[in-house]
Amino acid sequence: MHPTKSGRWITQTVSSTYLTEAVAIWLRDLRSEFRTRYAVNSILMFALTTLVAVSFSIGSFRIEESERPFLYAVLLWIILVFSALSGLSRSFVKEQEAGTMDILKLSARPQAVFLGKLFFNLTMLGALELIIVPAFILLMEYKIRFPGCFAAMMVTGGIGLGAGTTLVAAMIAQADARGALFSALSFPLLLPLIITAIKGSERAAYGISAAGWPEVKIAAAYAVIMITVSLLLFPLIWEE
Amino acid sequence: MIFKILLTIWMSVTIFAAFLCIEPAAGFPGEVSRILFFHVPTAWVATLAFFLSMIASCVYLITRKVNADFLAQSSAELGFLFCFLATVTGSIFAKSTWGSFWNWDPRQTSIVMLLMIYGAYFVLRSAVPDHEKRRVFAGVYSILAFCTVPFLVFIVPRITSSLHPEDTLNPAGSGMDTKTLILFLSSLFAYTGLFVWMLRLKVRMLKIMDKEQGVKFKV
Amino acid sequence: MCTLKVTGIGKYFSETILFKDISFALNSGDVVAITGWNGSGKSTMLRILAGLVRPSAGLVEMFCDNKSIPKKSRRQYVGMVAPALSLYDELTAIENMEFFCRVRGIAYDRKSCFNILERVDLVKHAEKICRTFSSGMKQRLKLVQALIHNPPFLLLDEPGCNLDSRGIKSVKNIISDQRTCGITVIASNEKREVDYADSIINLSN
Repeated sequence: MHPTKSGRWITQTVSSTYLTEAVAIWLRDLRSEFRTRYAVNSILMFALTTLVAVSFSIGSFRIEESERPFLYAVLLWIILVFSALSGLSRSFVKEQEAGTMDILKLSARPQAVFLGKLFFNLTMLGALELIIVPAFILLMEYKIRFPGCFAAMMVTGGIGLGAGTTLVAAMIAQADARGALFSALSFPLLLPLIITAIKGSERAAYGISAAGWPEVKIAAAYAVIMITVSLLLFPLIWEE
Repeated sequence: MIFKILLTIWMSVTIFAAFLCIEPAAGFPGEVSRILFFHVPTAWVATLAFFLSMIASCVYLITRKVNADFLAQSSAELGFLFCFLATVTGSIFAKSTWGSFWNWDPRQTSIVMLLMIYGAYFVLRSAVPDHEKRRVFAGVYSILAFCTVPFLVFIVPRITSSLHPEDTLNPAGSGMDTKTLILFLSSLFAYTGLFVWMLRLKVRMLKIMDKEQGVKFKV
Repeated sequence: MCTLKVTGIGKYFSETILFKDISFALNSGDVVAITGWNGSGKSTMLRILAGLVRPSAGLVEMFCDNKSIPKKSRRQYVGMVAPALSLYDELTAIENMEFFCRVRGIAYDRKSCFNILERVDLVKHAEKICRTFSSGMKQRLKLVQALIHNPPFLLLDEPGCNLDSRGIKSVKNIISDQRTCGITVIASNEKREVDYADSIINLSN
């Protein structure tokens, strides 16, 4: 970049891929998020309050030993899913509210925008799970027989959550009544994933031998399919 | 007009025949099995309507022809209506054979999923003010939702096994005699005809409403 | 050599016609002003040209060196400034520039970015968060953002808004520079800005 005589400059283009552009968007979102705590606050506060409510009202002894693997899996995923739904639309909604959506449309390729926002949402989900899952295990004395499988279920389930909601977030950011709409639209899409994740976590906590690997695979397949389809459909809702 | 009259006669005859000409199937309490002629066709029409709506959405996204979206919207609305009817008739059957209106049988789970998806679809449509955007978003959402359906087919049977009668009342199965089969097919035909008639009406209505709005700027 | 060809575009909302049947063609070196009463669709026209809004009728085509530019890659050829386009408030000026460089695939070089900021008198504020900027300072940064990829098609919606006399002078410089390398479309009712143009399209007629 060299400024010329009066306000113009010569720019040098470098070869850039969808991925490098997506990373630029991801890092910018993270930086904004770090300064404003726009999404993190709502997600984590929601998660912590529900976790405290669950732990306080149920505790680690109200549920019989034999019922625990299933009921704990249900409670954990309800906390995770609804916390995620409370904040995952923020990155798109904020672009719309701050009036930066058009400038992003003008300067970035749609697929790069989608990937950048997906990475951001996955980062949020990662942070959410890193805090909530250990806290839940400690507070509720959740005994897990196959920790590796359980961790894999959390990871694939989390990726699935991000994959299933990012496109919806982009749509509702451009609609009216954003808050309620996001959960209403995402939930039906997430239901297969939620059922799988609950089943998988239950089997990882209390399974025989192979535990929950089939569920891990189903959740991974869900994530891959949702990301692929979203990548194909995203330009349609992003442009014009 | 003729279509309407023929359809009325056909449906009336089918309904009468369903109650008067067929013996109740063995293995079901009382007259319960007659629901076959009403429940299965509504479920079939709902499936057909949702599928048609999905196809029409794809066509709209590719061609951007407004008529395709009218078809998608009308078809989704009628699908929702028939899906609701199938749910109600299904749970009446569930009450009289399994003892409770609702027990999260896999069939019930998937039908609730469908109702939720299309409920969300209508909410989305009403929440986007811009006409073109609304059509695109609705199309995108219905394609996205359609992609999650195969997972339900995989997952739901893993959770609970179904009590839904399949073999006993399946047209392809051996359990149905010729008379029942003919009447069942005729009922399917009647319901499909009803759907087609309602669909054409609804599409025509949407076209007129759009034209009313359009009149002002086609000066 | 670049060409912007607009044929018969119109924009209708469900109740009203904003404008219809607008056609014009521009070549490199042309500067055109779009004028009209408030609400006559100046900004919408620019948004249609930029590809942010789909016209209800008609066609916008762009050519560079006799090759048609597909809609997908139009973003690399268009630079736009408009009151409704905001920059990222929680980033600093230099971070905003870095982001737009990276996302557009332009080699980012901190030193040259500082040079550019110097040209619009923002170098003292390069490390300040944009939220603290005055509206004139934001407008300067928006101009920088629109020019960062050296676009042959420059769309300026009220470019002088909130600017002081020095800022207005740099807008003038930007436009006269653009004459040597591309097309400028200005949407404004400000007489001074309309005077930069060789021809005028009035949307109110």
